[in-house]
Amino acid sequence: MDLVLRADGLRKTFKRIEAVRGIDVHVAQGERMGLLGPNGAGKTTTLLMILGAVLPDEGSIHIAGFHLPRQRSKAMQHVGFAAGYLPLPDRLKVREALGVFAGWYGVRDHKNAVDDTLERFEITQFGDRLCSSLSSGQRTLVGIVKATLHNPRLLVLDEPTASLDPDIALKVRNGLLDYCRDSDAALLVTSHDMREVEMLTERVIFLARGEVVANDTPAAIAELYGHDDLEGVFLELAETHGR
Amino acid sequence: MSLLRIRTVVRRHAYVLWRAPHRWFDIAFWPLMDVILWGSLGTYIARQDPSSQSSAPYLIAGILMFHVLFQSQIAVGTGFMEETWSRNLLNVLTTPVTELEYVAGTAVFGIAKVLLAMATLSVTAVAFFGFGLDEIGWSIIPIALILTIVGWGVGVANIGVVLRFGQGAEILIWGTNFILMALSGVFNPIDALPGALQPVARLLPSTHAFTALRAVLGGEPLPRDEIVSGLIGSVVFVVAGFAFSWWMLRIFRRRGFVTRFS
Repeated sequence: MDLVLRADGLRKTFKRIEAVRGIDVHVAQGERMGLLGPNGAGKTTTLLMILGAVLPDEGSIHIAGFHLPRQRSKAMQHVGFAAGYLPLPDRLKVREALGVFAGWYGVRDHKNAVDDTLERFEITQFGDRLCSSLSSGQRTLVGIVKATLHNPRLLVLDEPTASLDPDIALKVRNGLLDYCRDSDAALLVTSHDMREVEMLTERVIFLARGEVVANDTPAAIAELYGHDDLEGVFLELAETHGR
Repeated sequence: MSLLRIRTVVRRHAYVLWRAPHRWFDIAFWPLMDVILWGSLGTYIARQDPSSQSSAPYLIAGILMFHVLFQSQIAVGTGFMEETWSRNLLNVLTTPVTELEYVAGTAVFGIAKVLLAMATLSVTAVAFFGFGLDEIGWSIIPIALILTIVGWGVGVANIGVVLRFGQGAEILIWGTNFILMALSGVFNPIDALPGALQPVARLLPSTHAFTALRAVLGGEPLPRDEIVSGLIGSVVFVVAGFAFSWWMLRIFRRRGFVTRFS
């Protein structure tokens, strides 16, 4: 199995609070995986470690074969990241901001890359608007465009559709599925929308209190916990492990 | 090091400068006010005491060259701060851009800002006080080089402080310029400083640059020992700035401070 992400034994403690307690995350090329758990389960810390923004206390991370943090720059060439809560550079127009990110990702023909990606997500109309003038939903969409500009092998999305209307969220989900299928990219996504996770992912890792409590297909996890869907599992875990 | 990524950092900051009129204050309005203030002061002193005829050129040349340090420092400092102000830091940290490439991009952009500010300063100095850069001559190149490198070093060190202590420390981006202005002997020889501060002033490479500047304005040849000391000191300064910032970045990543900025 060709692993695009291999994170082993990750541990992270902040001021004596163990946020992540020795978890493994393996994502194969083309695989779509969800990282779920109640608030405080360690999802964001895990993602930030995978993205190289936070150093783990223990454990190792390899992306596309490159070690973090030693080969961070090379590793990040294969990663696209977007989060529903992250703004874009506010003094730049959308096309300019995307062109800047394309350049940072090493895309030489940034103009064509930006146009093609805006077209893929059907938002060419935003191109000449200032990033600061976008609604939060539109900004999220542009963030996802940013994450796919350089055809990454691994897409990391933190709450990608959190602020989107249902119709736009559907468009984004379809766009992401098309992207992953067409480019054989892997997807690692966190979301509080369990239906979305069931639609987007083939495998799910459930975290609770910094530990992996389940790692299987959405249907198998639901069955394991005796629920019809992931929503029930989420509610049970949130209650069991307390928030 | 990727030239494409460095070029892209320059482009990113050029967009910001174009769209943020208040940024033009740094490269047009403040330099203009500085020349008027220091030029007028020099003219007044010269009128009071005819033996101080050289006051105006000394003060104007001092402020002119200080802007080289100021602009290169502030371009690196505010370049980084722009990512924190627009909460874009996490986006940047998750791209392949390396710390060195980012700083190199802001440093190159800083050179462009230095040239723009120098244009404002030169035109104003000639128009209002009849002082032209030709009075410094080619000596301006090594002096400006020392001041530019010192500016980069200070800017990079300031980034380290902001990474470690958060946005509250951004006051340093502007504040360190005043410290350097006071201690580097921009307008006067450092023996005019309080005795306790003179050893500190001697350690600053910028002091050697301004000492050399005054010598040239006084009609002496460019003092090589001052230039060599200034160049060596400025390289030490920039290496120390990078080492400090790299250390702070490591703490920043280890303690997860990125969440402060996103």
